Amino acid sequence: MGFLELVNFYIIPGIVLGSIYALGAVGITLIFAILRYAHLAHGDLATLGAFVAFAVVTGIGVSPYAALPVAIVATALVAVGIDKVFYEHLRERPKIITVIASLGIALMVRAVVQVIWGVDSESYVRGISRPDVYFGLRIRDREIYTVLAMLALVGALYVFLSRSKWGKAMRAMSDNPNLALLSGIDNKTVIVLTWVIAGGLCAAAGVFLGINTELKSMMGWQMLLPMFAAAILGGVGRVEGAVLGGLIVGLAEELSVLILPSEYKAATAFVILLFMLLVRPTGILRGKVL
Amino acid sequence: MSTLLSMEDLTGGYGEADILRSVSLHVDDREIVVIVGPNGAGKSTAMKAVFGLLKVRGGRTVFDGDDITGWSPNKIVQRGICYVPQVDNIFREMSIQENLEMGAFLKKGDLSAAYDRVYELFPDLKERRRTLAGSLSGGQRQMVAMGRALMLDPKLLLLDEPTAGLSPRYMEQIFQISRDVRDTGVAILLVEQHAKQALAFADRGYVLAAGQNRHEGTGADLLANREIAEMFLGG
Repeated sequence: MGFLELVNFYIIPGIVLGSIYALGAVGITLIFAILRYAHLAHGDLATLGAFVAFAVVTGIGVSPYAALPVAIVATALVAVGIDKVFYEHLRERPKIITVIASLGIALMVRAVVQVIWGVDSESYVRGISRPDVYFGLRIRDREIYTVLAMLALVGALYVFLSRSKWGKAMRAMSDNPNLALLSGIDNKTVIVLTWVIAGGLCAAAGVFLGINTELKSMMGWQMLLPMFAAAILGGVGRVEGAVLGGLIVGLAEELSVLILPSEYKAATAFVILLFMLLVRPTGILRGKVL
Repeated sequence: MSTLLSMEDLTGGYGEADILRSVSLHVDDREIVVIVGPNGAGKSTAMKAVFGLLKVRGGRTVFDGDDITGWSPNKIVQRGICYVPQVDNIFREMSIQENLEMGAFLKKGDLSAAYDRVYELFPDLKERRRTLAGSLSGGQRQMVAMGRALMLDPKLLLLDEPTAGLSPRYMEQIFQISRDVRDTGVAILLVEQHAKQALAFADRGYVLAAGQNRHEGTGADLLANREIAEMFLGG
């Protein structure tokens, strides 16, 4: 196999898949850092986002890119609502209770998706999309948009966290929650912001997974493990780490097919997760250990 | 001098058990008051009680004319008391400047006057304001922690063992800075392990033991007291 084949069939799909994982992993890492628990409903929220966009696409006949903002806003609101109705009441209890509760939420969200949209595969657009060839590299438009959208969304988040007053408050809450409270930072607002951002990014992950593959009610759940592997690989609480982790996990999954039977592709993320937890639990960019 | 803070017969603890039993103390305007005592005497607890971090079951705390017993820490901060915990008192992954900005979170409008004031007290910090606070030495971290607390222009600063784990040189520096802070019009109530040095530096002191008042007086008087000398120096 030549270099171009390697890039065309493994590297490019790996980067695209990695960008999708990155969008979810950033939300996971923020929730880990600020709320201090693993949010297991993250994948199914992504599914919800993807299907909300599907409803918009089929309902008014626009492209999935035009439906993306609607999906982001709707999923962000659902995420805030879930927090208010369920997680908020568990805030003072041991975190494991919230983790298990989020598993229940995952099943509920998935059931809602299945009731409304069924269990069959759907897609945003019918037909085959042919890649364009750039200097021998076969790249589809949707792949370029996926990577660019990920970079734009995460870039905007990065600027928000490093420049704005509330972004800094989120970092402060992640860094030292007690001191943040002593400084008068309102943790309720920080928590709402966290869910808005995590929910919105989740929807983007779901929509781009739908654009690049197909829509299924299990699509988000199957992304959960790789997204967690990416967040831990990058370092919990590190946004740029989650992006790096997402890209590494995406590439590793695609490249694993070279040496392993393709049924084991999904196991790659699990191997990375286990390896990191054993060898370097703080992740590549030195995040928190939980 | 008028009384800024007075704690009157305060009884309470974190859970069901009372750690403080009828503790009384007061801090006047522009005064540095130190609480000393053996381990487990309730020194830090007394300070946390001022800041609303304790279940109070008896007595009251009056600050600047308001009964603040039972107020939330958030409300107490806005009323003019800032608290520097003993450990974990900085945002490690944020720059010095961002630490100060978070200290002034409740303040509306322009912060430049507040930054100037803090950087004037801690010129070392100004040069390094883009540095991550977690990479600083212990003494400099303590300065960041105090600077963060001073951003809201408090009338009273609570310092919980500000010199714990610091070298004697830094201990002197922290005491000197505390005097400078006092000279800008801020009263200070602090808890100290280093009783001898702290009593020598403070205006007045309280000795707590087993959650109760044991002695009070000027630093010099307390240092001259034989019982106190025995308590801290083992006779």
